[in-house]
Amino acid sequence: MKCLIPGPNVKVLGRTIHALARFGDELYLESSPEAILLRTLNASESAYAMVKFNKVFFSYFNYNYFSAKDQEGLKCKISMKSALHAFKSPTHMDKQVENLEIRLDAESCKLIFIIKCKHGIVKTHFVSILDCKAMQAVYTKDLVHNRITSSQKILSEALGNFQSSDDQVNIEVNTESLILRNYVDSSMDLSKVIRTQISIKSAEFDTYVIGRETVITFTIKEFRALLAFAEALNLPLQLHFEVTGKPVVFIVHNNTTFEAHFVLATTKSDTPTQTSASQNSTITDRKRKEMGFNSNSVRKKPNLDVDVSKCLDEDSHLFDYIEMPIDIINAQNNDCSNKDISQSIIQENVDCDNIPPSPTSKMKIKTIFKRCFESTFDPRSIRGSVLAENSDSE
Amino acid sequence: MKFRAVMVDTGPMREFTNIVSTISKLSKECVLRLSTEKLYFIVSEDNSGPSPPMLWCEIPQDTFFSEYQIVGVDDEYRDIYLGLVSANLSKSLATLKTAKCLKMKLTKKQCPCLTLEIETPSSTSQQTRQVTHDIPVIVIPRKLWSEFHEPRIPQPDMSIELPALKQLRTTIDRMKGMCPEVVIRASAEGRLTLQIKTDMAKVSTRFKDLRVMAFEGPIDHSDSETETQTIEDISKTCYCRVDTKKFSMFLSADQISHNATVCSIVNKKLVILCLQTEENVKLQCFITGIVY
Amino acid sequence: MDSGKTLCSLLKAIQFQESAVFCAMQEGLKLTVEEGKCVQASAYIPADNFNEYHVRDDVDVLFKISIAVLTECLNIFGSAEESSLKMYYRCEGSPLLLVLQAQSFSNVMTDCEIATQTADTLLELRDEDAEEESKLVLKAPAFLGLLADLERSCDIIEINLSPEHPNLSIVTYGMQDRSCIEIPKSSDMVQSFTCERAVTLKYQLYHIRLIMKALAVSNKVVLRCSSNGLLLLQLKLEKEDQRQMFSEFYIVPLLDD
Repeated sequence: MKCLIPGPNVKVLGRTIHALARFGDELYLESSPEAILLRTLNASESAYAMVKFNKVFFSYFNYNYFSAKDQEGLKCKISMKSALHAFKSPTHMDKQVENLEIRLDAESCKLIFIIKCKHGIVKTHFVSILDCKAMQAVYTKDLVHNRITSSQKILSEALGNFQSSDDQVNIEVNTESLILRNYVDSSMDLSKVIRTQISIKSAEFDTYVIGRETVITFTIKEFRALLAFAEALNLPLQLHFEVTGKPVVFIVHNNTTFEAHFVLATTKSDTPTQTSASQNSTITDRKRKEMGFNSNSVRKKPNLDVDVSKCLDEDSHLFDYIEMPIDIINAQNNDCSNKDISQSIIQENVDCDNIPPSPTSKMKIKTIFKRCFESTFDPRSIRGSVLAENSDSE
Repeated sequence: MKFRAVMVDTGPMREFTNIVSTISKLSKECVLRLSTEKLYFIVSEDNSGPSPPMLWCEIPQDTFFSEYQIVGVDDEYRDIYLGLVSANLSKSLATLKTAKCLKMKLTKKQCPCLTLEIETPSSTSQQTRQVTHDIPVIVIPRKLWSEFHEPRIPQPDMSIELPALKQLRTTIDRMKGMCPEVVIRASAEGRLTLQIKTDMAKVSTRFKDLRVMAFEGPIDHSDSETETQTIEDISKTCYCRVDTKKFSMFLSADQISHNATVCSIVNKKLVILCLQTEENVKLQCFITGIVY
Repeated sequence: MDSGKTLCSLLKAIQFQESAVFCAMQEGLKLTVEEGKCVQASAYIPADNFNEYHVRDDVDVLFKISIAVLTECLNIFGSAEESSLKMYYRCEGSPLLLVLQAQSFSNVMTDCEIATQTADTLLELRDEDAEEESKLVLKAPAFLGLLADLERSCDIIEINLSPEHPNLSIVTYGMQDRSCIEIPKSSDMVQSFTCERAVTLKYQLYHIRLIMKALAVSNKVVLRCSSNGLLLLQLKLEKEDQRQMFSEFYIVPLLDD
């Protein structure tokens, strides 16, 4: 694998790495004939990010693993710290950097970042490859009821009203307006917490389609990170979400060269945070990591609490090629509306080698009202221990 | 008990934000006393137990609010005393500088709250956004009100105008790094001297040509340490040793646009710093002297 | 002296130890601090920076002083304010006296008395027998930019100098990763380059990082390597009035085991 990124785009990549670093500690890289994908997952597996850089983002692009002859792409995991080190100050990067080359040195098992700066200075970072796994999450984004496109400014200004101690935000949408609140856990001492609510009229947004009124709750930390990313690149933000318990997907793209997806798990809100006066509701299990989660999901509809990320870790030899569906959901749009089927397909995809090539077009803005299968729920992930089964069992 | 007030002018909103932000720098918690004529912010010393207030700030309501309604517990006790975390109020008001309108009211939302409703203009369109902060407060019962009365202070020996607060603050902050205590000395000739003394160094900064507002001299120094002041007539000077940090904290009030700041000294016992603004806001800080 | 501000920023740049040795010579003032037995840093203010400068020529004017207190005193009116400075010292055991007057406010003045102690002997790191092997002159801001980009968690920095391309390379080793910066002598930041023989020298990154504050206030840096590996960095600070102040760092190399 070898690719060359021209100066102005190095800054974009730098911003991307900095945004991803606020999600997870490890960075997964994957190359395909059409693009390079960067992915990360946070430690509690409630937030996932994927950024895809298309071929045109690069001035030279060769996805192949060793040479032009073989058809294998790269799959590897590096430490986020190492990646950050190569992009220390993305704000100044465009002024100093002429281009960046990323190359795989298969023999030493290193990923090499070569930054050519002005005045003949060359910085080379030899980054160790920790693993040769691929990772990817399964989520729905194209067939959801609620879609909002917002200028990057609106939401970050709104978040400016919250306290730095707030850790979750709660968004209520109806056809007239979007209301953000800081999420107040029922375990918190109400006499110590400021409850804040911001109401933004729907007219402020570029597009605002609410198919189903709902309230979703997710973490602020990652939300701030992705807003900072959109703001740094001066690009609008698309929100795609369904009902509470299902992941919310944020999309930032510039049409041609790259597309970023940030997926945050949403939790069921149990506490009336601001408006209502009585608070008698019992505390339900809110977070998978806090509670057993198992009993909870049996009692309720299975899609109330969804584990957003299904990590398809592949146990493989170093540099072995693993075929992986890029976007399983897209691939299945046509056939299933049932979670059991979808599940079996996921497994099938992992198991067999003859999968159709990954679909490339992801932005199907117009297909809003097609109701797709309900769930991205994967019971295997609930058990917590095994996130995905080995596909190539010995 | 009811309270409701509305602010619509940008000038007062900015000023109010600055006052609250200064208070939040001076203390973690404060008491907001609401009366028909004025609002008061009162800060006591951090150490527990009843002690006279350290900071006393009066804000006339009519120059700040376009609407102001208050109903106390009964006819006899018309005021409302609220205890709150100063930072909660200042952080919630951070966006007020660009706001169109602020409504403050007392609400009960699971616990007593001071609710701020701020209407802000949108940066991208003609729309407005509605931001609501519910700040939890404690309603202070009547029997404790006496702890928050305006402190009775002895007649100061001298009152002298302070130099520009910003300039004074940089100097005090340097001194703060070297010594926890500073001696403030004022002379009837219009000199203000700040002195620190440590094993490593003695530093003294003198400001001269300051206006003397009042002098109740001559000062009796008969009981004091025999520190001979050769140049100055010591009967015309008075001094007080205070905590450098407390003095520096008051000086952060320089962000409030003010008309005059005055330092009054009760020889060896107390320093009173007072800041007054055009809108008749009065911010007073009482720093008790350190005596060995 | 009319300007205490530049002096203060130069002293702050070498303020990584509590006390410094203050030495007044005919040529100028010199303050020296040491880090362990590995780094010796000095600030040197040539006498022509002062409007008036008198030193006894029969004895050495040499004493130990808290550099932290000295910089706090010099900075008493804040870093935004320029102030004039008078400095007095009588004899061994007496304090150093400073009189500072703020320039934009005429009504304020500060007197300081800073305690002094007998000076400790300083390390003699220079070895007269070791020849200078290479010398290079770099632009200080650009060099600072490179050092700032180095990964802080690395312990060791390797400096390679060679007559061949790339003439200067800086290598750092992290936990798993290795980074390398190559700078050819044709680069804009290199103003002169002399090197006869390829050398590889290793230093503690922490020691090299000590020069960063001084780089931030300087215009130019001269790196000199001698045959025993001792690194000497001389930094030049040019003031608005064209007068110059200097700082100097001797850094002892790491020995290969």
